[in-house]
Amino acid sequence: MNLVDYLREPALAWPLVYRPLLVGAGLVLMSGTLSVLVVLKRLGFVGQGVSHSAFGGIGFAALAGVASSAWLGLRPVEGGLFELGIVLAFCIACALLMAEVSDRRTIRIDTAIGVLLVGAMALGGLLVDASRQWAGAIGQPATGRSWESVLFGSVQVVGDQDVLVAWASALLVLGTLWFVRRPMLFWALDEPAAEAFGVPVRRVRGVLMVLLALAVVVSMKLAGVVPATALLVLPGAIALQCSARLWRVLGISMLVGVGGLVASMALALQLNLQPGPCLVLVLTVGFFVAWRVRGGNDQA
Amino acid sequence: MPGRFVVALRSPVPIAVELQAVSYTYPGRRASALEGVSLVVNKGERLGILGPNGGGKSTLLKVILGLLTPSSGVVRVFGQHPAGARAKGLIGYVPQRGEIEIGFPLSVREGVLLGASWQTPAWRGVSAPVRARVEELLALVGALEFAEQPIGRLSGGQLQRAMIARALAGGPEILILDEPAVGIDAAGQGQFADLLAGVHARLGITMVIVSHDIRAIAAGCDRVACLSRSLHFHAAPAGLTPQVLAEVFAHDVAGLTASGPLAGMHIHAHGAGEACPAGGHGHGHGHNQPGGKA
Repeated sequence: MNLVDYLREPALAWPLVYRPLLVGAGLVLMSGTLSVLVVLKRLGFVGQGVSHSAFGGIGFAALAGVASSAWLGLRPVEGGLFELGIVLAFCIACALLMAEVSDRRTIRIDTAIGVLLVGAMALGGLLVDASRQWAGAIGQPATGRSWESVLFGSVQVVGDQDVLVAWASALLVLGTLWFVRRPMLFWALDEPAAEAFGVPVRRVRGVLMVLLALAVVVSMKLAGVVPATALLVLPGAIALQCSARLWRVLGISMLVGVGGLVASMALALQLNLQPGPCLVLVLTVGFFVAWRVRGGNDQA
Repeated sequence: MPGRFVVALRSPVPIAVELQAVSYTYPGRRASALEGVSLVVNKGERLGILGPNGGGKSTLLKVILGLLTPSSGVVRVFGQHPAGARAKGLIGYVPQRGEIEIGFPLSVREGVLLGASWQTPAWRGVSAPVRARVEELLALVGALEFAEQPIGRLSGGQLQRAMIARALAGGPEILILDEPAVGIDAAGQGQFADLLAGVHARLGITMVIVSHDIRAIAAGCDRVACLSRSLHFHAAPAGLTPQVLAEVFAHDVAGLTASGPLAGMHIHAHGAGEACPAGGHGHGHGHNQPGGKA
């Protein structure tokens, strides 16, 4: 089967083509916009840090799953919004802690990310282990399998509910960014000056970290960890090479994201490949094309 | 309040900044960064604060900006707590030559506008008078010709003009410049002094210029004060050549003195265990000309 066959068959076109595209478009608009700020503030590794600290959140979710069946008699749920909520809360806490720790001049953000990333992963490992033992002790089936679905979700297997999740988060992120755009831009442009002018830089940075955590967790759940972190860097990195006008940069990063999404979906369906890696590779190629076209590192 | 009367009696000119016996010690450090600093900046005056690196200049600036709360002593900016004055937009700040990302997607005009508009609610556009003011300021600092250029691709001198316009955009009463000479060549410094003189002549704004480079201060200040643990004029730090010193002295130096009440315009900072370098040694004789006109 190739792309045309999928599109001709109405029973396949929605779940395999249009629905993943719709979910992907929400993710791309959300992360593509954030990626401009990520590149300008050199926060590229926050995506890595937050996505990997999700392990800790998965550990808590597993524990909470067993606890809810042990104490409340509920049936353990695999995945779902319950788990997503716990992972999200944990990742937001980690992201805020990264910003807070690196706030002091002696510790840089990459150190903070390195510390929290491994700490959260180790915590997650222990908690999943503990929850399995607990589940075994009370005769429940272990729920520890669901971390794979969180880390390596696929845009091909998304459901109708995921369209809602993707677009609700996208609108939340874009709306918040629009609302704080002026202090956020001032902070991004010149942090020391912004602080001296009275911009509440800690709060502004906190808002950005929360939005980044939201974008990472949602895209990770729906598209997998590699596309999630890639979308937080690549569209902005490409767009900032093409223009130095804010609205153009934002427009280009969205266009690049959506274009890459459509191209990679077509590629994936035509050649029967995974769409996530296709998207990342298409955008990576786009990055090098933009870099070459602009003339390498020679700056005017 | 009796305190206010004392201030009023001491100086007939309205006071922009007043520090009384301000000390500051960074948390976890033993040595203080500022010790017993008393200082008065009159309204409309241009005060230069000279000191070597590590002499407490940045700390003093942060105290005046309200970013640091002194361990002891009182700071007033236009009679208010500095953070309050800052929140009201009374303080304009020109940072040390910053690190603007080379590809930052804002034009000079947009960057300058942020200085006035960052507090504008998101749902409201920037008003026409604010935009008109920004255009006036761009003209005043000579930045109109590169106003549409990306702000990350300016030369040092151009960026400085943009930063001054941004600091003035919110309509402050005092302009604070942090190390304005860094990254500017000798020719550029002359132009910069002219620029500051032009701004002062046009707006009559109070200015505080902090620098380790006496050339940045000598050209355009009514008064110069020296801030350091170790700076004595006879133990001249780099850059403080006899000729330059003579020039500064010609401009009227209110230098290091023991914390005497002499017109309330002395900066005094030295290590706790260190002997006070002042009290005569050929500097800081307190040739203050009240009113700040040199």
